[in-house]
Amino acid sequence: MSLRLSPWRALAPWLISLLVLLVIPLLVSSNGTFSIINLIAINIVFALSYNMLLGQGGMLSFGHAVFFGLGAYGAIHVMNLIGDAGYDGQGFWAHFPVYLLPLVGFATGALAALLVGWPFCRRAGTAFAMITLGLGELVAAGSQMFPTVFGGEAGVFSNRMVGPVWFGLELAQPADVYWFSAFWVLLAVFAMWAFTRTPLGRMSNAVRDNAERLQFIGYPPRNLRFLVFIAAGGFAGLGGGMAAVNYEIVTPESLGLLTSGLALLMAAVGGLGVFYGPIVGAIVVTVMNSLLSDYTDASILYVGLVFLAVVMFAPAGLGGGVEQVRQSWRRGELTRQLPGWLGGAVSVLLIALGLVASIELVYQLSHGRDKLAQVLGLQPDPSSPLVWLGVVALFAAGYGVARASKNYREARS
Amino acid sequence: MLKAVFKLFAVSLCLLSGLARAAEAEPVRFALIDPLTGPMSVVGQPALAQLQFTAERLNKEGGMDGHPIEIVGYDNKINPQESLVQLQKAIDDGIRYIIQGNGSSVGSALLSAINKHNQRNPDDRVLYLNYAAIEPSFTNERCSFWHFRFDSHVDMKMNMLTDWIAENPDFKKVFLINQDYSFGHTVSESAMRMLKEKRPDIEIVGNTFHPLGKVKDFSPYISKIKSSDADVVITGNWGQDINLLIKSAAEYGVDVPFLTYYGSTPGTITQVGDKGVDRVYLIAEYHGDFTDPEIAERQVALYKEKGWDYYPRVAAMLEMMKAAGDKADSIDPLAVAKTLEGFEYDAAGGHLTMRAEDHQLQMPLYLSVLKDNMKHGAEGTDYNFHQVAHFDADQATLPTTCRMRRPD
Repeated sequence: MSLRLSPWRALAPWLISLLVLLVIPLLVSSNGTFSIINLIAINIVFALSYNMLLGQGGMLSFGHAVFFGLGAYGAIHVMNLIGDAGYDGQGFWAHFPVYLLPLVGFATGALAALLVGWPFCRRAGTAFAMITLGLGELVAAGSQMFPTVFGGEAGVFSNRMVGPVWFGLELAQPADVYWFSAFWVLLAVFAMWAFTRTPLGRMSNAVRDNAERLQFIGYPPRNLRFLVFIAAGGFAGLGGGMAAVNYEIVTPESLGLLTSGLALLMAAVGGLGVFYGPIVGAIVVTVMNSLLSDYTDASILYVGLVFLAVVMFAPAGLGGGVEQVRQSWRRGELTRQLPGWLGGAVSVLLIALGLVASIELVYQLSHGRDKLAQVLGLQPDPSSPLVWLGVVALFAAGYGVARASKNYREARS
Repeated sequence: MLKAVFKLFAVSLCLLSGLARAAEAEPVRFALIDPLTGPMSVVGQPALAQLQFTAERLNKEGGMDGHPIEIVGYDNKINPQESLVQLQKAIDDGIRYIIQGNGSSVGSALLSAINKHNQRNPDDRVLYLNYAAIEPSFTNERCSFWHFRFDSHVDMKMNMLTDWIAENPDFKKVFLINQDYSFGHTVSESAMRMLKEKRPDIEIVGNTFHPLGKVKDFSPYISKIKSSDADVVITGNWGQDINLLIKSAAEYGVDVPFLTYYGSTPGTITQVGDKGVDRVYLIAEYHGDFTDPEIAERQVALYKEKGWDYYPRVAAMLEMMKAAGDKADSIDPLAVAKTLEGFEYDAAGGHLTMRAEDHQLQMPLYLSVLKDNMKHGAEGTDYNFHQVAHFDADQATLPTTCRMRRPD
């Protein structure tokens, strides 16, 4: 889109984000909520850095956690150096504040990407995916073998309440860490957005879309991929540095395949094509991961189903959906298109309800009732055919609404 | 006169409300932070079932210092970072007793987080009750006043395994096979050190590490064991690594004892079955003979009710907490922690003492071997562990390097 935005329009999302970040502490008081918000902030940075590779550069990576984890390790080792230097107050590290550790994470992540990245970036696609998968496994396996650096199974732990204190911010409670996380997440998101506006960021989209043509006009795709790879590694490391300060412990799990998969999951659920998609994805996935298991033992199944549903039915992700609505509003077509979309949403909701109900019922048969059933006010007896009839009715209604709204959409377009 | 009546009324109202409060005293809540969903939930769910089962019984006996015991499960997906989020949630929910066992990485994260929490919030302290993270450092160089371990650590168990080997003159060659990560290396190192001290004539004919959870076919390792002519194998393997190792050993006819730490992990007995009989040895706080009829009854009841086997040390831990709370006449974590120091208790396996010096439970250990046709089979089978040797708490004990810092 070559629409020239007025400076206020361009600034608006940032001002709103800033306002939201400032208002959150007024609404939230429990440390538990703050620790989940801090986790969301870390995951936003991680997911966005992943999207620099996949969404913008077209490189599917299964080893992105390596840079996240190495950044976290770099930051936590420096945190220990700050703590050790604090005893006599001498030396460089005694004057290094903990708040700047994400920068250390950035440097570590970018350096690691610089060292290993060159051979990887010759090809994108499957070759790149396989190589990064190998890298991830290699580093994860290696981390168990060098306990002095990676701390073995127990990991490396530290204390964030060391070094000079700025603005009287002590970082004792999760509520204090919130300010730290809010600052860095805003800065990192802004920096990554700015990156997409640089010539390099633009060229990385071109590499994704047609590497051959780019080669032909004199931009070696490998160089561009390598630069993007380094930047993405650096921002993942920044997220790792935030994690080190937040958790005060880094374990080898943070380098592993599961953590890499989390980045892919968040980016894909949120939407790869939209800049803010991974932010939406990070919020949704983190909340699901941390809170859903309080209510149901089948939580992992639900996370998987959401991922499946997004990949199959909404490949543009949640952020893509929001973007579609926004575009249509801008074109003034929203009133015409909205009923069709709402119908689609209702059908998704109905089918999802039917699915949740049947999963919970089956679960109840095998394991006994869990909390989600109570939350939804469901006290049904899974052996009664009426209940199952209800489930079938939900599916049928969902399917019917889906058909109807599809016809409606097609008739209107 | 009217005033007097009114006063009487007010007083009786106060008394009544006081009585009502005593009758439904505020519960004392314990959080279990362990994997409760996903593939690793087989190690978290049995503990949750056992805790709820034992809490029910203890509540009938009056609860902990008059407060009913309530168990709340928090799913950590065995991930250290996620555990810290769940810990914060538990603390926010007003829970002051945190129970965790699976994974020393999670244990390490919780230990340092709880230490910091207690240091930063002196009015709001939390206790960490550890029932299975057996990294020795937790009660040695990293010992903490807020941490209590209700299981013997790696070296204590190895101490007994090597004692048993040393006493048996037929054992001349020992083979060590472990997973290639910190726990596996700890097992191998302490085995070599202790065997050298106790029986310098014993030859370590193999010290192999294999990738953690990645080996599908153990036959190369088994042929190594076979060709080494070993008399006994020591392994710290768990999960599928022990199942496949034992199955492979059975297929190749390696009939030497496999001394294990985790031969009783849920699922192992069902999977190994007949192939483990007379082959899998287990070092643990109890055995499958259930000589105590009361415990046997509970095993049957728990399996019927929840589908999990009795978990003796988890039960003993909660019973000990109740007894300590009763003795301290409080459910305040600090008061209970002070009472727990040096606290003694008689459990299924014998006499337990929580050593004040390092908060490491001193308990008798049993070596047992898998047998068929047991009276009380595990996991609904007929197999269970039959006692081979018994070691007193004094025998299993090890000195500590802990220098505990206590709150005032």
